[in-house]
Amino acid sequence: MSLEEIHGPVFLEVPSDPASLFLVRCLTDRLTQRLGFPQSEVDRVVLAVDEACANIIRHAYGGRLGERIHLTYLVGEERLEIRIRDFGSGTDPVHFKPRELADVRPGGLGIHFIRSAMDRVEYETPPDGGTLLTMIKLRQPKEGGKE
Amino acid sequence: MTIEVKERTPGVSVVALAGDVDMSTSPRVREVLLPCFQQGTSHVVVDLSRVSYIDSSGIATLVEGLQLSRRGGIRFTLVGVSPSVDAVFELAYLKDVFEMAPGMDELFQGELPRG
Repeated sequence: MSLEEIHGPVFLEVPSDPASLFLVRCLTDRLTQRLGFPQSEVDRVVLAVDEACANIIRHAYGGRLGERIHLTYLVGEERLEIRIRDFGSGTDPVHFKPRELADVRPGGLGIHFIRSAMDRVEYETPPDGGTLLTMIKLRQPKEGGKE
Repeated sequence: MTIEVKERTPGVSVVALAGDVDMSTSPRVREVLLPCFQQGTSHVVVDLSRVSYIDSSGIATLVEGLQLSRRGGIRFTLVGVSPSVDAVFELAYLKDVFEMAPGMDELFQGELPRG
């Protein structure tokens, strides 16, 4: 049975600990591979999810290790939707901007990686606090290459 | 992840990394790598041949190294960059910023390591 036949979302909850990022990468990697994304796209989606969780640990939770990160994977015929919810400081999404790439300095690349990998990226600030990040990756047609 | 530092020849330091370089491991890489750019060092090499994953925190650490190398006039080379790691450099538009070599043999061709 392939994951495509699973009806309903897949949930993963991890602590806001950098050591848990490998678990997030493992699940994202296997899931996107199983959905038939080419390896280069799999790698970019894995990087995007890793970076999103790293940003939550760093910024929303200020490096606190014991907070929660909820990930939800929704597999559709045409797209993979990944929602990442934190319950942290609710940084204003307006400030989530990538840095100028011509500027060679450390930091600021995570948002660029997320936006490069995904077809749609949306931030919401739920009324009960924190941030909900929704990332959508469109699935390629099974045959005939890109649209 | 494992990190090994060796002085290949006087003034030439090789930092060999193995495993994933991510938010949990890049602080250790930073701790080991940045002190290599000290007075008396002429060349710092980072061997990435056993690294299959790197994220923005790992890239940022290498960019810090690059900045120190430029400031100190020290040569800085990345060796053995795998295709998946190379793709991250490309995504960051940093491929042409770093000196890269396929392997240690190619980099030090004709030079004998200190026994």
